[in-house]
Amino acid sequence: MKKIEWLMNTKIWRSIFRTKLPISTNLDRSLVIFNSLTLHIHPVKVREKAICFSYTFYLGMISFFLFVILIVTGILLMLYYQPAIPNAYQNMKDIQYVVSNGTFLRNMHRWSAHLMVFTVFLHMLRVFFKGAYKPPREFNWIIGVILLLLTLLLSYTGYLLPYDQLSYWAVTVGANIVKYVPFIGTKIRFLLLGGNQIGDYTLVRFYVLHCVILPSVMLLLVALHFWRIRKDGGLL
Amino acid sequence: MEDKDKINNHNDSAKVITRRDFFNKIGTTATGVVLLGSLGVTLDFLSPNVLLEIPKEFKIGPLENIQPDSVIDNAEHHVFIFREHPGSFYAVSSICTHLGCNTKWNPAGIEGHPEGVIACPCHGSIFDKKGNVLHGPAPRSLDRFLVRVENDKLVINTDEIVSEDKMIVKV
Repeated sequence: MKKIEWLMNTKIWRSIFRTKLPISTNLDRSLVIFNSLTLHIHPVKVREKAICFSYTFYLGMISFFLFVILIVTGILLMLYYQPAIPNAYQNMKDIQYVVSNGTFLRNMHRWSAHLMVFTVFLHMLRVFFKGAYKPPREFNWIIGVILLLLTLLLSYTGYLLPYDQLSYWAVTVGANIVKYVPFIGTKIRFLLLGGNQIGDYTLVRFYVLHCVILPSVMLLLVALHFWRIRKDGGLL
Repeated sequence: MEDKDKINNHNDSAKVITRRDFFNKIGTTATGVVLLGSLGVTLDFLSPNVLLEIPKEFKIGPLENIQPDSVIDNAEHHVFIFREHPGSFYAVSSICTHLGCNTKWNPAGIEGHPEGVIACPCHGSIFDKKGNVLHGPAPRSLDRFLVRVENDKLVINTDEIVSEDKMIVKV
């Protein structure tokens, strides 16, 4: 304990953590949160009821942690994957059979993705049945709906990347559904596929969407979503 | 008198454009033009100019190698080429009109169509050998392509879609 106390009094520790020591009163404890970047995730005061499991079933946080798992495992998978034909399929097989712990990593990514769709959907149901979308939270509900759509789009774009029969036909069907958009459907399909049929350009486009564009938008909106929970009066 | 008029005009200040307003408007307009322009340029960029896709036009032949009453499933171009007995040829797309899966020629046919049908594995659409829908969910018949005969070979271009009564070429 004394060593930790000594460590907390060093110049380096104080330069990193903004809270003044010692922490003894309730005001000090609230200042720890006030002075922290994570203020918006963890508020200064929480109602005891709101941290009870049956209040929210922690569905939002579970979804967020699954998203974190997906980012970490996804970045690792990127190290062994090339978005090109025929490399993509071979790389996927290599990750399963040649790379150490590759199967574990790939399955973690896959199962977390499936679970995330599930928990995000349950989270939406929870918010709906509790009426937590009502004013002043209606904007946060809209952000949540966009986040659900982003989750589905991430699943869809990730589906093509193994480049096997399943992904090829799933994306064929999906791209043809896009074609039913009035007037600009064919153009959107062309831009999405980078051509008239699924090919190298399609794989790269889906790869960039899956690994860069959609996760960045997701991260920004998740931050906004969390911030709005606190600003709109906490969990409900 | 003139001075007074000037002052009166100044009081009607809504119509006077100050230097600041002028530059604000110029600046906003220029930013808008640049933003719209970059949007257009980016959209243009996203649309590839060179595609490494197979050519739309291809040849099949010579004619005597195509058996009468037979079907060629050209998987590369996604086209069925039919030869009917007297020497008439036609070409039907093998891409399902529902959601774009590859259909298969089923020579066994179904009840009422013993001559064979075209069936889609994805959602169960069935077409007759002329490409007409026998069974949904396909919303319309398969595309029919114009067939020409050149140097004893069939020339088919998947960009030239024709109606059912114009699809058959007789030799």
